Amino acid sequence: MIAGSLLRIAFDALRANKMRSGLTLLGIVFGVTSVMTIISALEGMMDSMEESFSSMGPSTFMVSKMMIVTSEEMWLEKVKRKPILLEDAELIEEGCSLCDKISPRMFSQATVKYGNDKLRRIGVMGGTSNFIDIVDIEVAQGRFHSFEDDLYRRPVVFIGDMIRETFFEGLDPIGKQIKVGNKKYRVIGVAKRRGSMFGESQDDFVIVPLSCFITQFGESRRGGVYLTVKAVSLEKLDEAMDQVRMILRSKRNVPYDKPDDFDMMTAENVLDVLNQITRMFRMGLIGISSISLVVGGIVVMNIMMVSVTERTREIGIRKSLGAKQKHILAQFVFESTIVTLIGGIAGIVLGFLIARWLVAMIDMNISPSAVAIICGLSISIGIGLIFGIYPAMRAARLDPVKALSYE
Amino acid sequence: MSLIRTKDLWKTYVMGSEKVHALREVSITIEQSEYVAIMGPSGSGKSTLMNLIGCLDTPTNGEYYLNERRVSDMNDNELANIRNREIGFVFQTFNLLPRATSLHNVELPLIYNGTSARQRRLMAEEALVKVQLGDRMTHKPTELSGGERQRVALARALVNNPSIILADEPTGNLDSKVSEEIMQLFDELHRQGNTIITVTHESTVARHAHRVLSILDGRIARDEAIPESQRNGVR
Repeated sequence: MIAGSLLRIAFDALRANKMRSGLTLLGIVFGVTSVMTIISALEGMMDSMEESFSSMGPSTFMVSKMMIVTSEEMWLEKVKRKPILLEDAELIEEGCSLCDKISPRMFSQATVKYGNDKLRRIGVMGGTSNFIDIVDIEVAQGRFHSFEDDLYRRPVVFIGDMIRETFFEGLDPIGKQIKVGNKKYRVIGVAKRRGSMFGESQDDFVIVPLSCFITQFGESRRGGVYLTVKAVSLEKLDEAMDQVRMILRSKRNVPYDKPDDFDMMTAENVLDVLNQITRMFRMGLIGISSISLVVGGIVVMNIMMVSVTERTREIGIRKSLGAKQKHILAQFVFESTIVTLIGGIAGIVLGFLIARWLVAMIDMNISPSAVAIICGLSISIGIGLIFGIYPAMRAARLDPVKALSYE
Repeated sequence: MSLIRTKDLWKTYVMGSEKVHALREVSITIEQSEYVAIMGPSGSGKSTLMNLIGCLDTPTNGEYYLNERRVSDMNDNELANIRNREIGFVFQTFNLLPRATSLHNVELPLIYNGTSARQRRLMAEEALVKVQLGDRMTHKPTELSGGERQRVALARALVNNPSIILADEPTGNLDSKVSEEIMQLFDELHRQGNTIITVTHESTVARHAHRVLSILDGRIARDEAIPESQRNGVR
């Protein structure tokens, strides 16, 4: 009952001082906007990252000499490891009963040419025919390599959509000859467009049969072979990984008391590691943008202090008429909280719009998340309370006699 | 049962190293329905006494009973309650909220005791009619004359049916003609049974009362009844 009346008094006071309320509002809007922009954009990035990795399939894991490097020491240690070889893949194929499919891959970079058109530093992957069954690349046109292509070392190439767009816009790419490095390949298929991640195109690749890759680039490359292994089922994933681990350890003569000298990870692991690597970065960004929130809070506090001083007499009058400390306290806290709440709502909307615009530039999409909205609202209310309570307490504790005689 | 009873009230202010006694051993008794003027020159302590009687302040020493309730050692919240229910203030400078209408100004005391919005409006309207401002309800103080403002303040003092109407130099900012009108309103309220205490240094104002307490240097110097023949405003 009383609270409702006090809320109205607070509203009326804010309306009566439009300029002042507006300035306070602006301080909060900027603060909340910057935090919401960062949070929404980060959330969008994490979502799309998750999406692209989950396409790898939950029962699939990868094996390689080094996949994750988070420090220089780790790189120095891992780079000395022996590469994983094609024969290891064959050993696993024979020895791992819980492995459904194994797809060895190797990577390089080369200049790709069609006629006079040239694309430099294009990722070249050598893969086996079953790669397409394990990894989520879809065929948009033509076909992927067959087992025979690999077996007979046929010079055929499966290309990413960006390559098609550059060389064959308006043409039928199937059957055309392109040069990868200095070797000729015939285009047999095009992948469906995958879009970009972090501003990097995911469509600028060519895939050739692994046998051709080895002939052209050699087997004992530094990176070695990357194995993508699909377990027979999700339940057997851990056991399958153990089988692979045992096979590789004995093949590579790792003593029982030494850790693995190769990396294994599932899609989930990859995400975890990515999360870990980016956590500091994300926290830092949120932290920096939070500074503007604190500034907004200080604006609120400052203006409320001025307001309390200016309205000392009003406070005296209210007290002489029977307002208790809690009534005065509530009146002023309501004022600051109303301002920060309205500013917060505006900031959430604005921040989300900016984030969407930012993220759209790198080909991603975001939608407003309940977490971000609840966070934003509670932060704004929190600021109203935290920075409003001190001025309100000053107001509530004023001595009625002194307040009444204040000029 | 006395309405107001004080025993040896002291109010001492510390100013630097000096102690200033604004009130010394003030013992007074005021009965229900009395009309009392507290007189004295400026600095005599009459405002301090008014603040104590009005529960805006607490004494340094001594006891104060209002309606037989010991007020002198109440805390802030209890004092606020007493001010809300027992005291109706009228100030020299009116002390109205400048941005609020007459109606809202009069409603203020009712807000703090949780009266419903509807009830508040009815009571405020009634009080404004009582001070002959039925046609000025939605005016703001800046749109009213000095006399009208003081009548809004009087309506605000009356709205809660307090035990005491406490007026501090109620005519200090008004010209003599308007002052007389306001004082006649006080007389009228007294006739209706209200207890009125005015604090003033003007004898014309004091002479409306039935009893005058003179205060000098913080002590009650004289306590005299005004015979009907010497009173102002009696028709």
